[in-house]
Amino acid sequence: MAWLTKNSGTMQIERREEPYLDDALKAKLEAEVIIRYPDRRAAMLPTLHAVQHQVGWLPLQALAEIGAFLGVAPSEVMDTASFYEEYWLEPKGKYVIWLCQSITCELLNRESLMQKLQAKLSIKPGQTTEDGKFTLMNVECLGSCGTAPCALVNETLHEDLTAENLDQILDALE
Amino acid sequence: MTPEELHDVGQKHREQDAKTPHHVRVCMAAGCMSQKSDEIKKTLEKAIKEKGASDPCKVKCVGCMGLCSAGPLVRVDTEGQDSVMYQNVTVDDSSEIVQSISDGKPVERLVCDTNVPFFAKQQKIVLENVGEIDPDSLEDYISVGGYSALGKALAEMSPAEVRSEVEASGLRGRGGAGFPTGLKWGMMARNESETKYIICNADEGDPGAFMDRAVLESDPHRILEGMALAAYATGANHGYVYIRAEYPLAIKRLKNAIRLAARAGLLGHHISGTRFSFQIEIRLGAGAFVCGEETALIASIEGKRGQPKPRPPFPAQSGLWGKPTCINNVETLANIAPIVNKGGAWFASIGTEKSKGTKVFALAGKINNTGLIEVPMGITLREIVFDIGGGIPDGLSFKAVQTGGPSGGCLPDRHLDMAVDYDNLRDAGSIMGSGGMIIMDEESNMVDVARFFMEFCMSESCGKCIPCRVGTYQMHNLLDRIAEGQGTHEDLALLEELCITVACTSLCGLGQTAPNPVLSTLRYFRNEYLDLIGEQHIPAFVGQEASQ
Repeated sequence: MAWLTKNSGTMQIERREEPYLDDALKAKLEAEVIIRYPDRRAAMLPTLHAVQHQVGWLPLQALAEIGAFLGVAPSEVMDTASFYEEYWLEPKGKYVIWLCQSITCELLNRESLMQKLQAKLSIKPGQTTEDGKFTLMNVECLGSCGTAPCALVNETLHEDLTAENLDQILDALE
Repeated sequence: MTPEELHDVGQKHREQDAKTPHHVRVCMAAGCMSQKSDEIKKTLEKAIKEKGASDPCKVKCVGCMGLCSAGPLVRVDTEGQDSVMYQNVTVDDSSEIVQSISDGKPVERLVCDTNVPFFAKQQKIVLENVGEIDPDSLEDYISVGGYSALGKALAEMSPAEVRSEVEASGLRGRGGAGFPTGLKWGMMARNESETKYIICNADEGDPGAFMDRAVLESDPHRILEGMALAAYATGANHGYVYIRAEYPLAIKRLKNAIRLAARAGLLGHHISGTRFSFQIEIRLGAGAFVCGEETALIASIEGKRGQPKPRPPFPAQSGLWGKPTCINNVETLANIAPIVNKGGAWFASIGTEKSKGTKVFALAGKINNTGLIEVPMGITLREIVFDIGGGIPDGLSFKAVQTGGPSGGCLPDRHLDMAVDYDNLRDAGSIMGSGGMIIMDEESNMVDVARFFMEFCMSESCGKCIPCRVGTYQMHNLLDRIAEGQGTHEDLALLEELCITVACTSLCGLGQTAPNPVLSTLRYFRNEYLDLIGEQHIPAFVGQEASQ
C-alpha cells in the first residue's frame, strides 16, 4: 500500500564520508538522463534506479544527495521513493526472489511454493536472510501466466515452478 | 532512410535469406527462454556446424510463437515445403532435428500439429511478425515490410490523411477502456503547441495479462513505427515508452530497437529527409500498478508520486509538463502500421459493428493451451475457450472466464456464446480490459477470486482519494469475513452498497472499476456467497414465485 508511510520525523540518518551519489555517476546521469528532460525533477525515477543499482538500496543519505543533485527537497525525494514498491529503503539480499502472486499463479498453487520458501530460508516475505544472501518478495503479475507459477530471481525469470525445480534453482546460486 | 532505400534493404535481406534453403526458428521470448531455449539455439548451431555446409541451414532467434504451454518451440522452415513446428524441445534433441532436415523427414515424436484450431482459428495483424522475425534485427523487420507505412505516410500522406485513415478504421484503444483512437488523435492535433508528446503505455500490470510483453519482446520495431506514425499524425516530436521494470527482456530488446532505428535514420532528426523529427526515450516504471492510468503515468514521468489527477483537462489538452500529450497502449500502436499500409476500410472490414479489427488475448489458468492468441472481434467465448484453448484440463468442467483483470469480471457458462467485443463484455458486467483471459474450472472458488482482486486493488490504491483508499480496504475486510465463513447478510448488503459508492465516487479508473470482480461474481455466483454465509438459499426464481 503506497500510502502507508513510516514516521520519518524522528529518523536518524546514518552518515558516511564518501557520498553514495559520486561524481562519476553524477556525470553519467547529467550526460545520459538529465539532458533529455525539460526539468531536473523528471530525472528522479531514473536517478533513484541508478543509485539503487550501484549501491544495492537507497539509504537516507543517498536520498538527501539526490535531492541536492536534482534541486528538490530531500522530503520530496522520500515522498517519491516511498511511493514505488521497487525502491529499497532498506538493504536487500544478494538475490531477490520475487514470487509472483497473481491470480494465475494463485490458481496453480503458488501458496505452497511460498510456504516452502519461507521454511527453507526461515524468513517471511519482505525479509532478508541473516547471511544477506536472499530476500523474499511477493510481486504482482510477471506476465508469464501461460507458464505459471513463476518467479523472478534478480533479473532472471523462472517458470513452471515446482517444489523440486525451485530447490534446484536456489541451490545453484552462490 | 527514404522509401526507396527501405525497399532496397528489404529486397537485399530477402535475397540473402533465400540463399539459405532451411531456416530454424527458435522462440526466444521470456517463456521459452526460461526453459533454456537460448541453449537449444547454441546446440542447434553447433550441430549444424558439425554436419558441414553441404545443406545450408540458418538458426534464427524469433519472438513468441504463441503456444507457451508447449515451449520451448522450434520451427523448421524449408523452402517450398510446409513448416514443421516442434514442441517441448530440449537441448538433447538438437542433433536429431538437424539430422531430420537433411533427411527431409520430421522428428515425429516432437512434432506439434499446427493444423489445430489453436493455430487455424487465429487471425494475425498485431502478431503477424511475432515468431517470424528476429526482434534484434532491423533488416528482418524491414524485409517483412517494416517501416514502409512510415515511409508511405511521410512521402505521400498529410498528417490529416493519416488521422482520417485511423478514424475510418474504427480502431479503439486496446488498453481496456476502448476510446476511439482516431478521436484521441484528433483532439491532440487540434491543440497547437511547439512541443507535444506521444507516450506508449507499456505498464502492463493486469494480473493474467502478458500480450504487451510478448509484442515488445518479439516485434519492438512495430511499436516504434506506430509511435512515429502517431507523432506525425498529431504533430508530436517527443515520445516516451513507459515500461514496467519487471520486464527486463522487453526493455533490452526495445532499447536495442531504438538504437538501431536511430542509427538508420528512422528516428531522430529529419526522418527520411523530411521536416519531421521524432525521438523516443524509455522510462522504467517502479512497481506501481496505478501508473497505467494516464494522468498517474504522466506524474511518474515528471518524477513524482504516480497519483492520478481529475480530468478535464485531458492529457490531449494539458499533459506531460502541461503540453498536449497522447497516450496509447502497446497493442493500439501495433495496429497503426497495417492500417496506414492497407487502409482504414480494410481494418474496418474485420470485427463487429462497433469493435473493429482483432484482439490479442493471453490465455491462462485452467485451460489446456495457455499462451498468446489473436482473434477477430466478434468471435465467441466458446470458440476461444474450447476450440483455441482446447478446453479444461483434467476432465473438469468450465466454470467462468475472467476478463479485464482487476477492473473486469467473471462470466459464467451461459455467456459462452456471446460475441466478444467491447460493448457485449461491458453489458455482461465485465470489460475487454487489456486482454488477459483467466479460465476457471469447477474447483475454483469465486468468492476467493473476488477477494484476490480486491486485495490487489487495495494494495495498489495510490491513496489519493478516500473512496478508493478506504473503500477497497473495507470491501476486502468484508470479503475476508465472508470467505472465512463468518459473514452475515448485513455484511453482504454493506458490501454491495460499498461497491456502488466506490464505483461512483473514485477519482480514477482503478477505484471506479475495483468493485467489478465483486459485482460480477455476486451477479452470477451469488449462491457461493450465500453458502458461505451459511443460510439456506432459495434460488431467485423460486423466491419470486413464493412471494407472488
